[in-house]
Amino acid sequence: MTGRLARSLILWVLLLLVPFWLPMVGGYTALASRILVYALCAMGLNLLLGFTGMMSFGQAAYFGLGGYGAGLVLVHLSGSSWLAVLAGTVLGGAAAFLLGPVVMRRRGIYFAMITVAVGQIFFFVAERWDSLTGGEDGLTGFSRQPLHFGGYVLPLSDVPFYYFVLFFFALAAGVMALVLRSPLGHSFVAIRENRRRAAFLGIHVERYVWAAFAFAGLIGGLAGALNALQNNFVSPENLYWVESGNFVIIAVLGGMRSFWGPLIGSIIFIGIQDYVSSLFPNNWESLIGVLFIIVVLFFPNGILGIIRRRAGLA
Amino acid sequence: MELVLFDAFNGLIQGTFYALMALGLSLIISLNSVINFAHGGFMVIGAYLAFTLAPYIGFWGALFAGPILAGLLGILVERVLVRRLYGRADPIYSLLLTFGLALIIENSVRSIWGAQGQPFRIPAGLDSPVSSVYFFLTGYRVFVMAAIALAAASLFAFLRFSRFGLRIRAGILDLETVSALGVNVYLLRAVNFAIGIALAGFAGVLAAGVLQLSPTMGNDVIMATFVAIVVGGIGSLLGSVLGGLIIGLAAGVTAAYYPVASDVVIYVIMAFVLIVRPRGLLGQEGLFE
Amino acid sequence: MSLLELKNVSRVFGKLTALEDVSLEMEEGELYAVIGPNGAGKTTLFNLISGFFPATSGEIRFDGVEVTRLSPERRVAAGLVRTFQITEIFPELSVFENIRIGVEAQLGCSAQPWPSRGLARRIDRRVEELLAITALSSQGGRRASVLTHGDQRVVEVTMALSLKPRLLLLDEPTAGMGRAETQHMVNLIRSLHQEQKLSILFIEHDMDVVFGIADRISVLNAGRVLATGTPKEIAANPRVQTAYLGEAA
Repeated sequence: MTGRLARSLILWVLLLLVPFWLPMVGGYTALASRILVYALCAMGLNLLLGFTGMMSFGQAAYFGLGGYGAGLVLVHLSGSSWLAVLAGTVLGGAAAFLLGPVVMRRRGIYFAMITVAVGQIFFFVAERWDSLTGGEDGLTGFSRQPLHFGGYVLPLSDVPFYYFVLFFFALAAGVMALVLRSPLGHSFVAIRENRRRAAFLGIHVERYVWAAFAFAGLIGGLAGALNALQNNFVSPENLYWVESGNFVIIAVLGGMRSFWGPLIGSIIFIGIQDYVSSLFPNNWESLIGVLFIIVVLFFPNGILGIIRRRAGLA
Repeated sequence: MELVLFDAFNGLIQGTFYALMALGLSLIISLNSVINFAHGGFMVIGAYLAFTLAPYIGFWGALFAGPILAGLLGILVERVLVRRLYGRADPIYSLLLTFGLALIIENSVRSIWGAQGQPFRIPAGLDSPVSSVYFFLTGYRVFVMAAIALAAASLFAFLRFSRFGLRIRAGILDLETVSALGVNVYLLRAVNFAIGIALAGFAGVLAAGVLQLSPTMGNDVIMATFVAIVVGGIGSLLGSVLGGLIIGLAAGVTAAYYPVASDVVIYVIMAFVLIVRPRGLLGQEGLFE
Repeated sequence: MSLLELKNVSRVFGKLTALEDVSLEMEEGELYAVIGPNGAGKTTLFNLISGFFPATSGEIRFDGVEVTRLSPERRVAAGLVRTFQITEIFPELSVFENIRIGVEAQLGCSAQPWPSRGLARRIDRRVEELLAITALSSQGGRRASVLTHGDQRVVEVTMALSLKPRLLLLDEPTAGMGRAETQHMVNLIRSLHQEQKLSILFIEHDMDVVFGIADRISVLNAGRVLATGTPKEIAANPRVQTAYLGEAA
């Protein structure tokens, strides 16, 4: 238990000090923001994937919606970055909540096919509704706005924006951790472990799958909103199904069964993506594809899974 | 009215492509227990191989060579990669593996043949309309529908009447028993995978003559293929065909009245089917869960 | 009034009559066994009582209320709780976590995302209590999948207990157990009956177990009740001897 406490302390200290040490090892702060954003989205997905045992392959839809929610607020409504984040989060969560009843009754590969296909609805809406979303060219014409604290104005340049992201990351991670330790979280895990038995104990499995799906969408929306602020741009590609695969591989690569797995996965995946795409601008997607296959064949339990097995804990 | 007919006919053509793709993917899901995300990729490969070979062996040669080569590539992929996942209970790994494969295929096609779309030349006799009133009824389009119907019918006949086909059907029902009866299930699954891929390749070659060739043409088709399978009922081959035709036609008709929604409508149909009849039109309860 | 009452219950599967005209009554506080040779209909009877499938005809009353057509979940809520023959636990969770899921379900708080500190403490205390009752306290931190078969069955029974049964249905509690494990389970059943004052209905293969602890026994044969009585009466019943021992020999 103390070991665990020490580890989280180290983790948070490292995260807090990123702008100081990352440049020294050849990284840049914006990369760290991107890693956190993708980690957050994959952690949300992992509520379904790793904790409820439901193979969702459509997380990008809620990520993208969060982006559009945030972008549209900044373009049309208000200059508040806070409000933009809130709008994106709500939009992602609401969409997942509304679609929950469509997906919740199915399991296994069926659930995967349906979640990925249903998410396409939003892709085509975003791509076709030119006047609102900018269509295929994506949504532009906004930029993240400075934060106002009383009379003090903080412009969100790279480093402050990293802390802005870290704030929401910590908030969401805290909420997720609390929920996973609550009876609700225990019920999610019960469904993963033995669906029939959970149902017989009086747990209405479908409603819990719905809840987990909406929760994952909410977190996806938050991550998407932060992503929009980071890029000052939202592309329909953000909610295309191909993007969903990235979140799944991030969760699997880090270790689906562990809470922090997706963070580890994101560090590696986004890190490799950043490095490889600058090195091989034409072939990096193939290399990412190879990474998928390597993970599946050789690291099915993810990095944290391996560490845990080595330590004899699993 | 003619415009509606035109769009409906276009939709039907699209639907036959979806049906053929869904048929192959359904076979693979049923016997190999793999959702093949790279199915659209293999369709593209079939199309580009035919495109490359056509100048040397002609359209008709390429029409058969493309799918066969894609099928052989399918066997290779099954032997080297997919086979390793058969023992794993969690289907997430097969999804990720074929997803990675799809990325590799798309990227490779782009580096080999270029990112730009390519026109695919069809035989001169086939590109003129067969009717002066219904200008959209070109010989090629009629040919495409007939070819796909023939391919689907041959597959069903193969599964029903040939010994190997019967084994595939038996394997879908109960692989363990089939294995215990002395059937080589490794071969069975490899060939089955190849058949599914070859069907995708065939759809690709035919589609190349209607649409333009592009490295990403498989990406939207694979999603529509999923929808066709879900609508038709997972596990039902006939359902896949039916699902494909229905969504293609629905997209076509929508394009006539409300073009902006023509892409979305198939997903709305899927959502509707899932709420009203979760197992799909011809699906059985509790399969693949 | 009887706790559980079956009146002329039958169950037909296609052309096969699995249970015919079965009537039995069980009193509050009884330890009641149903025995019978393979294929006598014991498991069918259990599934009818716990609601896994409906009776074709007849009536089942629990605590005076008719439950014949209630779903299994509704019967659990009424206090009619069963265990499963094949161990149905949550394999990758610790023993403590297994039981906690049952406790939370029983308290109706499975959907709570932010439990109060008081609630969380109450849950933990209740889990500890249950683990103490079934002597699993020392195993609480271990993963359920690494336990012995016998201990897994005890976890299964404890999970059933967590639902606060008024009538506990045990489906072959000692199936597949060695002698020591069987003895342990027998002691557990006896203590649940005597110390926790639980009403227990169980079906069982092992005759020594049944005659050692049951208050009353019903013998099923070919889907019918052959005899009901105390262990002594059953042992002396000539019809039981021919039906049962005849098959065993």
